[in-house]
Amino acid sequence: MGMFIILKKELQAFFKDKRALMLGILMPIILITVFSLAFGGLGGKGKDHKIQLLVCDEDKTDLSKEMIGGLDSIESLAIFTTTTDSALNLVKRGRYSAALIFHKGFTDSVKAVKHLPWELKYDATRSIEMGMVQQSLLQNLYGKISKMMNEKLIIQMKNFESNSKEINKLMQLKNSPLQKVPDNQGVVQALAGTAVMMLLFSLTAMGARLIEEKENGTLKRLLSSPLKTTDILAGKMLSSMIFAICQLFIMMIFSSLAFGLVLLPNLVPATILIIATAFACASFGMFIASIIKTREQAQGVSTLATLIMSAIGGSMVPSFLMPQWMQNVGHASINYWAIQGFFDIFIRQLQITDFVFLGRVAVLIGIGATLSFFSLILFRNNATSMA
Amino acid sequence: MIEVKNITKSYDKTQAVRGISFSIKDGECYGLLGPNGAGKSTTINMLSMLFPPDSGQITIGGLDVNKGNTKVKSMLGIVPQEIALYEKFTAWENILFWGSVYGVKGKALTDKAEELLKWVGLYDRRKDNVEDYSGGMKRRINIACALLHSPKVLLLDEPTVGVDPQSRNLIFELIQQLNKEGMTIIYTTHYMEEAEKLCDRIGIIDKGLIIAQGTLDELKSQSQVNDMILVDCDRAPDEKMLSDKLKTTVAVSDKRISILSEDSKKDLTRIVTTCNDAGYEINRIDIQKGNLEGVFLKMTGKQLRD
Repeated sequence: MGMFIILKKELQAFFKDKRALMLGILMPIILITVFSLAFGGLGGKGKDHKIQLLVCDEDKTDLSKEMIGGLDSIESLAIFTTTTDSALNLVKRGRYSAALIFHKGFTDSVKAVKHLPWELKYDATRSIEMGMVQQSLLQNLYGKISKMMNEKLIIQMKNFESNSKEINKLMQLKNSPLQKVPDNQGVVQALAGTAVMMLLFSLTAMGARLIEEKENGTLKRLLSSPLKTTDILAGKMLSSMIFAICQLFIMMIFSSLAFGLVLLPNLVPATILIIATAFACASFGMFIASIIKTREQAQGVSTLATLIMSAIGGSMVPSFLMPQWMQNVGHASINYWAIQGFFDIFIRQLQITDFVFLGRVAVLIGIGATLSFFSLILFRNNATSMA
Repeated sequence: MIEVKNITKSYDKTQAVRGISFSIKDGECYGLLGPNGAGKSTTINMLSMLFPPDSGQITIGGLDVNKGNTKVKSMLGIVPQEIALYEKFTAWENILFWGSVYGVKGKALTDKAEELLKWVGLYDRRKDNVEDYSGGMKRRINIACALLHSPKVLLLDEPTVGVDPQSRNLIFELIQQLNKEGMTIIYTTHYMEEAEKLCDRIGIIDKGLIIAQGTLDELKSQSQVNDMILVDCDRAPDEKMLSDKLKTTVAVSDKRISILSEDSKKDLTRIVTTCNDAGYEINRIDIQKGNLEGVFLKMTGKQLRD
């Protein structure tokens, strides 16, 4: 019977905290929804998942134009035409997945049955996608080109079987990443994804210490002291930030020592990115802390928010495998910008002055500043009731 | 030193403070005496600028508290009801932290910290984590942490809750010493003996209102209280029945009956007879000469611990 008395009390306590109760019920539903949507692209059907392919027509012939027109009908690709310089620049900076270049002489090569001067240049961080791109291109373009080539070859060689092998060889699409792919590319992906997710978990937990301060009365004492509420919040945020910076550096140093991450030449941009990421994550932790009122809420909200941000931001599965709209939503997460920043440094090897890299840093700082601003307002308004 | 004029405070639909006014002179020890939920802590929280009153005015040292003046905060030392310390920190670390919060720095801070730790008798244990302290020791550190900046006014919100009698006496001595040195003190409690022992003047607070205030003698004469008879029975007595038969103010808490009497010698026989007739077995009888408990009973019709 004693067990039932405790059971009743526990249930009573659980149902008293309506916000925690809502989270308990809603959390699994929200998580299932977010993960299903995020991983929707993996099933293969995902109509929304289109690979963004830039196409450059240096040949500018009827055939090359016809080829490009044909690419539009491929469902899995979103085609954008531009110049080669611009395409390479955009791919190099991770804005687009790849660029398909029809070099000058493409049509002539088809007519002369020579090796085709076309190539696929891709962002090294998205090599997984390239298999799918090549498959789609060949499926759609092979028929037309091979037909034209075969007619010539029949005239030249009169040998059907050897023609087919020869055509395959001639049509081979040269593909290469724009950046030198490091041997330990997997480490960069693991580090970037995991580091930010773990950071969010630990910082939301640190933020929840405000609840502890409330419970033991120290928050009330602090609020009654000459310290301003901004001092209290800023001090807490700064400590979270220092913790975050240390945690990120430790992870990087470990990755460097254990898995050969090339850290030293990239130390300056890595430091800048670490500080920006730490600021954004610490602000996120403080924001969570300023909206929660109980330990149960702290646990629920921080887990929910961290898992959602990690899922949509690419910590759990690379963003490019998600449906396009989900990739767009992912831009609202800290994870996305931090992960892309790490890719910029360690894979794309962008210069520290590159606007793309600096842009990502600016977005992280912007997220941090916005969350800090709202945290401060919420904390100011709720601090007394919290205490 | 402190002027409180008609302050009110509501939480949602509950009016915790319904128009309290009092003034405290420099160097005075003023007690706010009332049961739990009477509005003592809300009043202290408004005085300590944790939140402003909904209406009314508080001035401390001539400065308006409602205007969020940080100068006022520096004048105040606050000892909250909770043991507001960092349990994983040592006493020394706690005391340095709270001192620095109030702007005390360097040698002045360490000297004052040493002085206070010696004063509360915990200097030898200063390197121990607060979590390893007894309740009484924690309470003493809780007080010391409020004194590092030598405040002019000390607000103590039930500082002896949950401590053993020995520690309580030690805390009384500390507070009395501070008061002797000229510190203005506001002390909230629901223990009559604490208010009687420590406070120059007492405000009796109930349901968000101060129902009487003055020195102990003034309160006794205001309420015309003589004696109070306390009767412990074998079971909870019927308050209404006793009140009707004895025709005086009677309050029952658990198995104890508190009866106000103008002449205890005369009333005692009548009380014993009434209890016996009602079938209550008397375990103990105490007669107290005019004290705060009687004043409170007379003014509120209930015992302070109700």
